[in-house]
Amino acid sequence: MRNSWKIAKWEIRRNLKNKSFLISLFITPIIFIIFFTIPQLFSGGEEADSKVYIYDEIGLWEELQPLVDQEGYLNWDVEVTTENLESFKDILVEEEDSAYISLDADSIMDGNISVLLGEDASERIISEARILEQPIRQIQLLEAGFTQEDINLVNQPIVFMPIEVDAAQTSTESEEAGFTDLLSQIVPGIFAGVVLFSIVISGMMIFQSASQEKKDKVAEIILSSVTTDDLMQGKIIGYFVLGIIQVGVWIGIITPVVLWRVGEEIPVLEYLFVPELIILLAFAILGYLLYATIFVGLGATLEDASTSGNFQGFVLMIPFVPFILFGPVINDPSGLTAQIASYIPFTSPAILIMRLSILEEWPWIEIIISLAILIVSIWILAKLAGKIFKVGILIYGKNATPKEIWRWLRS
Amino acid sequence: MDKVLSVEGLGKSFKQTRVLKNISFDVHKGEIMAILGPNGAGKSTTIRNIMGIMYPDEGSVTFHNHQGKSIPRSKIGYLPEERGLYKNVKVMDILLYFAELKDYPLKKARERALAYLKKFDLEGKENASVEELSKGMGQKVQFIGSIIHEPELLILDEPFSGLDPVSQEVFKEEIRNLANNGTAILLSSHQMNLVEELCDRLFMIHRGQKVIYGSIDEVKEQYANFKCTIIGKNDRITLEKIPEVTGVEQNEYASVLYLPKDVNVSNWLKQLPDHLDVHELKVDRISLHEIFIHIATDQDLVPEVGDVDA
Repeated sequence: MRNSWKIAKWEIRRNLKNKSFLISLFITPIIFIIFFTIPQLFSGGEEADSKVYIYDEIGLWEELQPLVDQEGYLNWDVEVTTENLESFKDILVEEEDSAYISLDADSIMDGNISVLLGEDASERIISEARILEQPIRQIQLLEAGFTQEDINLVNQPIVFMPIEVDAAQTSTESEEAGFTDLLSQIVPGIFAGVVLFSIVISGMMIFQSASQEKKDKVAEIILSSVTTDDLMQGKIIGYFVLGIIQVGVWIGIITPVVLWRVGEEIPVLEYLFVPELIILLAFAILGYLLYATIFVGLGATLEDASTSGNFQGFVLMIPFVPFILFGPVINDPSGLTAQIASYIPFTSPAILIMRLSILEEWPWIEIIISLAILIVSIWILAKLAGKIFKVGILIYGKNATPKEIWRWLRS
Repeated sequence: MDKVLSVEGLGKSFKQTRVLKNISFDVHKGEIMAILGPNGAGKSTTIRNIMGIMYPDEGSVTFHNHQGKSIPRSKIGYLPEERGLYKNVKVMDILLYFAELKDYPLKKARERALAYLKKFDLEGKENASVEELSKGMGQKVQFIGSIIHEPELLILDEPFSGLDPVSQEVFKEEIRNLANNGTAILLSSHQMNLVEELCDRLFMIHRGQKVIYGSIDEVKEQYANFKCTIIGKNDRITLEKIPEVTGVEQNEYASVLYLPKDVNVSNWLKQLPDHLDVHELKVDRISLHEIFIHIATDQDLVPEVGDVDA
């Protein structure tokens, strides 16, 4: 074990001194932040105010203005004008990005409001103008002799409200509560998912590392001091720590940005540190151990990763299989696909993290069976990977074929 | 002499193939012992069994009083045949890593590393990245890595392969130094001249079995028989009838006659028949090199003394 730790320390130090590792360590969260914030900046930037002239014959705009300003729906820079439509046509030839809305008495009565758009004015102004629809309708109805009560009745939308039998009393509040509940579950789920993703990525570096060790022919020198088991364990521990460091850096960079953007609406940290997180992280860590043992064994069979055959390439894809199941599982987190995938060790970590993030009631029996299957699989795979590693790491000059690997496994 | 390593009755099979059979030898303190043999003879397998990278099916490896898995590997230095270094790390980092794996104090390791780098003409390279080194420099760094922890037993598998003559001299010099300071050294090599120059004893192996084992002097005395090479067309029967000839090897014009080591050459020459066709005639001793070639090419022509090949 002490020797494993020496190997682990070496792998950690070696990577932390490696420029390409450091660059990807910091670039990944920065790219994430860019994707997270830039679209918002753009959409915010597009809503530059449009110049809108309003011909306000009946004083409707004056009434509406305080309401509109308060809600902040419109990005209009409104100027009330007394010019009529015809004379404005000339003005809009000059001011291409402006618009003119004619709220004259006739238009209001027949419901055809003329909007004059300059050449470059945004089409959005038309749809934004729909905010005037309700007040105009009101004026029409009042003019037609309806009372205020009649109008209120007409304006009252008809709603079909679902009421669950067992939760009848709380149905009205639960809508809001359900959303926060879901969020409070998803936040730890996302966190565990990021942890799993990061350590699986660093787990793939194990593959690189084992294969590189073979290529550089250092393995035999190392093995004259430590056993193959020490070397294998050391690599697994080392890359686990690297994965955790990676998560730490990512989270450290991303969290402040997330808190800054959504912190006021969602108490992210409060949702994150809940007891359920431990189970989710357990799945993430077990998932890592599973993939790491496979990769370390596989890496020892390959001298040159770029010439790997279909077999090794296929094995490398295993951690991405859960992504294929993402759709069905999210649609029906208690469905058959989700349940089966929870019992297959190669998919269960990611699938269970997904499911537990959205299921309200945790299927504890499934969780326990799944954990047991995972642990047993890791134990068996570690034995098998050890056999492959032991022989593979000392074979020089060629990649092992599946047939050879099978022979090593049986010996 | 102090026995540092003793190998007894070593046997190993891979599947049905028997790669080692009944290999036994010792390595003593302060001596340089060579293990020789053609490619695939089992040298590296023997060494890997000693290093605990593999474990033998039969027999035992004893280092001082330890056997098998209890052998303290921190006391042994090893330079494998297939060797290399991590590419994108500093020379000093990798040397300290090797020292750490052997539980050698890092401060001392750093001093030793600097001293050896200087000795091997690599002063100032300690902070260079391994990928910047030439092949020869890399081999020197590997060599330093194998002795950084002051091993009691140093095992070198083909230490001279790929070295230029200058580096070869440097390595030879250092190996001799180490032996003089009491390190037991086991090395494998193909280069017989180097072995003859450098080693005290040798163990020759072919097809996983012992062929020759003894001190260089003993071996030379035992095997340094005379041979007479005659260029000319001669009948094999005629040649075999010449007294004291223990073996004949012929191809078209040239014939080689093997003679015992105690033959009196000038007397023997007088006994040559008159009708012999001689264009050229040469008498010399069989060298280690030739013994090696004969074994490697499976010509069973290393004549046992007194064994007449008729």
